[in-house]
Amino acid sequence: MASKISVVLRPVKSIVVRFCPFETNVESTRKFLQCINHKKIQATNRNCEVTADVRHDGSEPLVDVTFADGDRLIMKGANLTTVEMLTALGSRCNAKDVKEEEKSKKRSR
Amino acid sequence: WLPALQLVRRGSKAVTRHWKAMHFQRQKLMAVTEYVAPRPAIPPRCLAPRKETVEKEDGYRLLLQRQVQEVFRDSRMVAVCQYNSMPDEEVVLMRHYLRKHNIEVKFVLNEIVRPVLSQSKYKNLLPLFVARNILLVSPETKAKEMLRVLKGVPQVNLLGACIDDTILSRRGVENFAKLPSLEATQGQTVGALALLPSQTSSLLQRGPAHLTALLDQHLHRLRDGDTGGDTESTGGDTESPAKPSPAQSSEAH
Repeated sequence: MASKISVVLRPVKSIVVRFCPFETNVESTRKFLQCINHKKIQATNRNCEVTADVRHDGSEPLVDVTFADGDRLIMKGANLTTVEMLTALGSRCNAKDVKEEEKSKKRSR
Repeated sequence: WLPALQLVRRGSKAVTRHWKAMHFQRQKLMAVTEYVAPRPAIPPRCLAPRKETVEKEDGYRLLLQRQVQEVFRDSRMVAVCQYNSMPDEEVVLMRHYLRKHNIEVKFVLNEIVRPVLSQSKYKNLLPLFVARNILLVSPETKAKEMLRVLKGVPQVNLLGACIDDTILSRRGVENFAKLPSLEATQGQTVGALALLPSQTSSLLQRGPAHLTALLDQHLHRLRDGDTGGDTESTGGDTESPAKPSPAQSSEAH
């Protein structure tokens, strides 16, 4: 279930979710936005800004994630499910966390 | 004579704390008397599939649908927003601020709203009702205040609205909020319509007004000339020829 996937948002700086609600392929993106705004995930990083960009120009649903070290993850949600998007974001966040821990260990040594 | 089998005295008892293997005869008995589930004579997949019982008409569901229909009928403005989970205090605050502007917040279930919408004339609002939504309904159309309140709440995203039977997107609602009020627009229209006739009337009146002004001036000059003409006859002669010529030209026109 989408609510069981926990994502640690510490390395994330901002998330922009862009969609056009009058299209038919936006369900997974909207559910993704709903899950991102959950209490537990928001509690992992209070500084992460989640913005919803609602347009009416027939464009595809898009999720734009900016990480703290400058990386960007763009997910086009037209043919993705919510779970896939969450797992992709979660795996990248975990990878960045591990890298940061290694870096901090090296610095402390 | 003692019986040969006296193992029972040395070994453990029948009921032990550790696991003890069953006697072989008991094992055989248990194996023979195992439960065998009864199987139907004809496997169920060979029979005709049983028709799933249709959900009986739920009175509560009908009530909710009727409420939604009433809401659409009675309110001039219906805004659909996506609701991401918010802390309860913020929900209460938002409801309070919107209530001040006579806007009610209604939580709706998609499975109830979808059949109502598909039968009414708001078919284009159907694709909006996916994931959790709330409806902001109001008998007045206070779009500016609503947008201001929603700006302060980041977890509620405005998707679209139906104002006075017109379906608007988010940008449409923002443009609608920027419009001046009805009285101001009516005044502007009246002013614009009245501009041309007022111009025409001023144009028509220009000629006679000019004539009357000139004649007034001429009268003044003549009076001044009569009173001061005895003392200053030359001043009146120089002034009076200038006056009759425009008067004559306007009379000729």
